Amino acid sequence: MQIDSPKKLKDIQKSFTEKSSKYPKKILICCGTGCLANGAMKLVDTFRDTIKTKKIKNMSVEMVKETGCHGFCEQGPLVIIEPDGTFYTKVKAKDIDDIIEKSLKKDEIIEKLLFENPVDGNKIEKYKNISFFKHQERIALRNLGKISAYDLDEYISVEGYKALAKVLTKMKPDEVIDEITKSGLRGRGGGGFPAGRKWKSCKAIESDVRYVICNGDEGDPGAFMDRSIMEGDPHAVLEGMMIAAYAVGASQGFIYVREEYPLAVTHLEKAISDCEKVGLLGDKILGTDFSFSVKIARGAGAFVCGESSALMKSVAGEVGEPRAKYVRSVEKGLYDKPTVLNNVETYVNVPVIINKGADWYAKIGTKKSTGTKVFSLVGKVRNTGLIEVPMGITLREIIYDIGGGILDNRPFKAVQTGGPSGGCLPEAMLDLPVDFDSLTEVGSMMGSGGMIVMDDKTCIVDVAKYFLSFLVEESCGKCVPCREGLWQLHKMLEKICAGKGTMEDLDKMEKLSENIIRGSLCGLGTSGPNPLLSTLKYFKDEYIAHIKDKTCPAGVCPELITYEILDNCTGCMACISACSFDAISGKKKEIHTIDQDKCTKCGACVTVCNYDSILVS
Amino acid sequence: MKHDMTKLDSIFDKYPKSQESLIAVLQDIQKEFQYLPCEALEKASEILDVPLSKVFSVSTFYNAFSLTPKGDKVIRICVGTACHIRGAKLLQDQFESLLKIKAGETTKDMKFTIEVVSCVGACAMAPVVAVNDKYHGSVKVSKVKKMIKA
Amino acid sequence: MIHITINGKVVECKDGEMLLSVIRRERIDVPTLCHHEAVEPSGACRLCTVEVTKPEWDGWCDYVTSCLYPAKDGLIVNTHAPKVNELRKSILDMYLARHPKSLKIKQLAADYGVLATSLETVVDGNNCILCTICTRICDHMGFSAISTVGRGHGKEVAPPLDMAPADCVGCLACAKNCPTDYIEYETGNGRLKIWNKEFEMVACTVCGKTTVTKEFAEHLSQQRDIPFEYFEKCDECHRKELSATMGKIANWEREVRS
Repeated sequence: MQIDSPKKLKDIQKSFTEKSSKYPKKILICCGTGCLANGAMKLVDTFRDTIKTKKIKNMSVEMVKETGCHGFCEQGPLVIIEPDGTFYTKVKAKDIDDIIEKSLKKDEIIEKLLFENPVDGNKIEKYKNISFFKHQERIALRNLGKISAYDLDEYISVEGYKALAKVLTKMKPDEVIDEITKSGLRGRGGGGFPAGRKWKSCKAIESDVRYVICNGDEGDPGAFMDRSIMEGDPHAVLEGMMIAAYAVGASQGFIYVREEYPLAVTHLEKAISDCEKVGLLGDKILGTDFSFSVKIARGAGAFVCGESSALMKSVAGEVGEPRAKYVRSVEKGLYDKPTVLNNVETYVNVPVIINKGADWYAKIGTKKSTGTKVFSLVGKVRNTGLIEVPMGITLREIIYDIGGGILDNRPFKAVQTGGPSGGCLPEAMLDLPVDFDSLTEVGSMMGSGGMIVMDDKTCIVDVAKYFLSFLVEESCGKCVPCREGLWQLHKMLEKICAGKGTMEDLDKMEKLSENIIRGSLCGLGTSGPNPLLSTLKYFKDEYIAHIKDKTCPAGVCPELITYEILDNCTGCMACISACSFDAISGKKKEIHTIDQDKCTKCGACVTVCNYDSILVS
Repeated sequence: MKHDMTKLDSIFDKYPKSQESLIAVLQDIQKEFQYLPCEALEKASEILDVPLSKVFSVSTFYNAFSLTPKGDKVIRICVGTACHIRGAKLLQDQFESLLKIKAGETTKDMKFTIEVVSCVGACAMAPVVAVNDKYHGSVKVSKVKKMIKA
Repeated sequence: MIHITINGKVVECKDGEMLLSVIRRERIDVPTLCHHEAVEPSGACRLCTVEVTKPEWDGWCDYVTSCLYPAKDGLIVNTHAPKVNELRKSILDMYLARHPKSLKIKQLAADYGVLATSLETVVDGNNCILCTICTRICDHMGFSAISTVGRGHGKEVAPPLDMAPADCVGCLACAKNCPTDYIEYETGNGRLKIWNKEFEMVACTVCGKTTVTKEFAEHLSQQRDIPFEYFEKCDECHRKELSATMGKIANWEREVRS
């Protein structure tokens, strides 16, 4: 059936709701990358097979939904029984009969599959009561985990494409731009440029052709918001792009997706072809004069392609080298035509703003950073995963209320935001409100939303070295300060981690950083020294410990640490078999010893020792 | 090494014959052969009408492409930030010393290739190792030996 | 026409003209390594960075590469501001660490007072400074025989697949325009070798000296409508022929007048 009028959307919504109300319950199985890795697909198949073969009354395979990512990947595979909202974690195929018998046929809860609050050990029944979800406000992630990731009808049933219908039939392009401007929506890709202003300047340029691009490159290591959205709610991405295209007058769009995200590509391809089939993409959409089509461009593994001018070159099939942007891409972007480029999270906010109004949206968050932001809360924190919170929330609330505090009750050391362009913030900054400007002021940045929590076992110098090595690897190599300067910074950090650094190196690094920032061509270089500068600012003592005392307080840098077996060793021999280098010797029930010449400090022994008998110092 | 180059035709048929298809074409070739054979690059240059030097430039710029064949088992160690602070480097060291190759290399018997990837976006299960596209989460150093044997 | 101020002097120029060209016209010495008039600017070496500001920017300055920055009315440019000089010094320091043997780099660095690098010298640093004038010129000539390969610190310029490049005609535009004379070629016995590819040279039918490669001559005669025979005479013989002709004309004119 062609969806060629707003009325058809309503018909579909109605018939879908009727169809699903036939069954008393729904089984939502998370099929994000994380849960799939833990065997979610097997659960889906087993549920469907069991329901089919046993021909259970009132049940149908249609009740089983493959949803997008909840963001709570660590507990996966996740299964939710609706409408009760019962939340099961780490579900295995063998649990399925039990779930059908108890939780589907009846309303019983299976205790052992419930999530256990790591803070107090209590079991939690309902999805909404889990502190990880409780403090969140989900706008961009509104459908994730709730609807099937690739069912167009189901997306329409949750008011999907309603905003598109509204703008096409009731709003002029300028009114759409005004609405987005009024909402205060800022680009979620990192820079935080106001989306409405970007659209307005693109539209103002005289041109026969304009493009709309969605940046789904998400290169920041430690961030997976956009992956989850593209996988779990691809239609929301398309709808946001269509609205943008209508507003600026574009008829061709591109979604640039990282090739490391194969599932996102598959789901987007399916969403695009479903829309093409019913006429939601193509000519005269919803019976109006608006025509739009979308192509997917797969990235090929280059962090620098998150930079807009490099991304556009990559879309054109060229090497992703950035160009100087004294002439902005809204004027001269893809194929030198005016181009609007926003990231995934920015686009998915758009339909909601249109539906609920700019005033509603602007009330969320802070005055200058409105709305919510999705973060991937990862690292040494108890509850890791994707979270969406109102702007202005403090780092402490995120890490302790949502994240449940630090893993193994260790002391908090730092939180890293903004990916390789951001910085590490210390405990003293925990009460900082999280918004675009506050983070930049203290030497970090919002970035695309990676938030990596570090404990006292994380070496801050090693982290700085890690980011520099990442950037050296990812620099396109075009301009000198980035290509040569970052390489030099990395060399100096390597020296310090090996205990060969000098205090002069610290001054030299700061000076060099200043010139790299001033001299580099694109954002990769101009923000490249940030991880170094922010750690140097807040954790100088740790650098000094590496340089003067030749120690690594966190016990990470191999050249500065030794592994030793303590007297409480029970002689269980576990470490001996774990060591691949025959560095540990000893007899059963006797204290083992480590041959320092053979020890590679790989840490295998520590992970198998149940008695904390191995001291790293 | 000889390859069935007829497979290339079906790849080229899928895309418009111009430079904008270059990356997609190379990705499909990479997927088909696990690397980019010289003949395939030459053919891509000819059919898409892009100078061979540009094809070569693109093939060496992006991480996704490899100009040398890969082993039967491709071990991709995620070294994203979350994985890094949960010990990805230790995993990498372990794989490298057990297989006696460095990241980016393939064992002589063509059984294993080690690769590092900057982030696979599965940060909540850090550290992550993917073996031939199957993801393993919360990998421990002590499990590496087993993963190689499995 | 618009007006901008460079180092205190008001200068007239075209709207949108690149700053570097205005600066050069004013005979102000701003160093560059990746700039070449024949090809589009790249912004790789960053040495032509200048400080720009406008009265309405409230004292805020920007640092921009003049080769790519379009002039706008009222712009105030300082080509040798303290921070600009410091940046150039730092860049030359990085260059010197990477290309310790390059005379060109040593000279330029010395001009800015950098006599030895303060950074870690790259052990196998060669003289290719990755300015990409060669690849851009090769593209402009219409051959695209060479390109950059790889990325980051390991980036280099090379022919595809590291083999003799099929598209190279031996025009030598790359080698002759390389600022550090890094690109090597050999000539002799009527042959030319560059990028591991050997060419046969066209010989002058008068004196026997070689002119250009056969491939290049064929390319020019096909693409540019220059008769192939033109290349069968060397520059010197062309000139001799020309002066002989001029002599004949002069004689003829004298005859006519008398």
